[in-house]
Amino acid sequence: MKAYSYFPGCSLERMAASYRLSAAETARALGVELRELEDWNCCGATAYFHIDELLAATLCARNLAMAEQEGLDLVTPCSGCYKNMYFTRAHLREDPDLAEHVNTALAEDGLQFRGTVQVRHLIEVLVQDVGLPEIKKRVTHPLRGLRVAPYYGCQILRPRKGREDDEQPRFFEDLLTTIGASPVDFPLRDRCCGGSLIVTHRQAALSMAYALLQDAIDHEAEVIATVCPLCQVNLECYQRHVNRTFGTNFGLPVLYFTQLLGLALGIPSQRLGIGKELISPAPVLARVGG
Amino acid sequence: MSEKARVLIIDDDPDFVDGIRGVLEAAGYQVDAVYNPKAGFEALKRRPPDLLLLDILMGRGAEGVMLARKMRKDPQLSQIPTLIITGLREQIAFLFPGQAVHPHILAVDELMEKPVDPQLLLDRVKALLDAAARRRVAG
Amino acid sequence: MARTLTFEQEIANLFYAMDSNPVQACIQCGICSGTCPAVAFMQHSPRAIIAMIRAGQKKAVLASNTYWACASCYACSVKCPQGIDVAAMMYGLKRYSLWRNHYRTVPLGADFSRRFVRLITKYGRSYEPGLAAPYVLRHGFRGLLDEIRTALGLLRKGRLPLLPHRIKRAESLRRVIWQILPVGGRA
Repeated sequence: MKAYSYFPGCSLERMAASYRLSAAETARALGVELRELEDWNCCGATAYFHIDELLAATLCARNLAMAEQEGLDLVTPCSGCYKNMYFTRAHLREDPDLAEHVNTALAEDGLQFRGTVQVRHLIEVLVQDVGLPEIKKRVTHPLRGLRVAPYYGCQILRPRKGREDDEQPRFFEDLLTTIGASPVDFPLRDRCCGGSLIVTHRQAALSMAYALLQDAIDHEAEVIATVCPLCQVNLECYQRHVNRTFGTNFGLPVLYFTQLLGLALGIPSQRLGIGKELISPAPVLARVGG
Repeated sequence: MSEKARVLIIDDDPDFVDGIRGVLEAAGYQVDAVYNPKAGFEALKRRPPDLLLLDILMGRGAEGVMLARKMRKDPQLSQIPTLIITGLREQIAFLFPGQAVHPHILAVDELMEKPVDPQLLLDRVKALLDAAARRRVAG
Repeated sequence: MARTLTFEQEIANLFYAMDSNPVQACIQCGICSGTCPAVAFMQHSPRAIIAMIRAGQKKAVLASNTYWACASCYACSVKCPQGIDVAAMMYGLKRYSLWRNHYRTVPLGADFSRRFVRLITKYGRSYEPGLAAPYVLRHGFRGLLDEIRTALGLLRKGRLPLLPHRIKRAESLRRVIWQILPVGGRA
């Protein structure tokens, strides 16, 4: 069983509890051990960078240093946390002055960043480290015919992290195909969901969510799959607001990729947090025996 | 002092720099200014000044603190008297309101908050330079 | 050494540590504006903002809502043929305006950032209701009803945290932060 340090991120505590449950269940079913970092702190989301980037780097570095103590690579299911910690690691490795400054601060908590830890997104670990052939072997309940819009969002692809294809990514579609689902063509799959503009510029965020939902509907998706808790909230919890603002009547469920994967692996839907949605996926999932 | 004392300002705010440069030059100091911490450190290394006026919030964040730490480790720079002039407390008062700021990182660092009273600035600059001169004689 | 500094140089100084080109390299092709999903809500497009920075229009740039309407999705940054990290520049402008208190013209984004940072320095973790609740009244009456219905729905599904979670070593986290931002007395 391969082990990783696990950073769930703040949203997974409650708002995205179903992501926490389904990530844990699917990882276990695939032989991946996720050891939650003890006493982890917020990655800084996007707001810290408005005040002080050095502080933002320090917050991320505390988590990185704790993962290094465990001697395990750090995995997170949140795209925002992933991007922040990935680039903090890169910046600290490139800038020894910054690393030393940050380490002076971390010493107050008995920690030190050495730069040995790798930062990974959960979907990357499952697709690359476990591998699609291995996942395919374990699929017991293929989601045959389920038309899923694979929503990549921004931060998992951008800024470029140097090893993935940000123009024409395929890994999400490939994963969906592996579990028997039918990924729909989704041209806006890497367009922003609005992020924290949902709080600070509601109109802009709703219009961004609207564009994505309309695109998924136009391409006959029955469900959107996401890899980020904020994307899930913007697309699902604010769908009612989108409908009222744009006169639409969307009722498109938005699930975490781990929930769909878990169903295909035969994990009961309750253990995957299915049922916590504001827009029930039950009618759609009933068709594929979920 | 026969030669003019050299003062280096590292501060990202050109309006503020123009203001205190005028005050210091009128009092007979030779003043240089750089506007970001990276160029600031290079200027320090190139020709260590008699006195440094250092801002805190610039570039990516509180880089003045980072720069002071870097100076502390450099024998050529660690003894330069430094006057930290910052609006930090007001700039991020929303975080920790109403309390004083003084990191005390360098051997000789004092703190002044913006906005700066010109006479007070001149007094502090002179006092720091005089103290440094006394240390040189004593040392 | 120059006696005064242009606005373009001021922005370049915020940007100096970036591993990308400063705005001087901009060829005004407009690809950033073309890829931006929020451009319709910006008073000036990203391309126009860069042109204004280069023309030294400091007041107009800072008074615009453009950088607060940026969602940091980095579509512009990866597409720029000149290698300018436009999203990082928007962060730079947010920082610049916060530090100099220019944010008052478009307060929501700035207020949100401050609230967020305060929350983390206190608890070590984020807390959605603490972030979103202060703004519900800004969305108008219908917006408020939507907000309440959504919140009740989330509450019923157990998705709404009622209290922020404070990390165990919050005190030492406070000391860590003090080493980076020495304000508020030593923890």
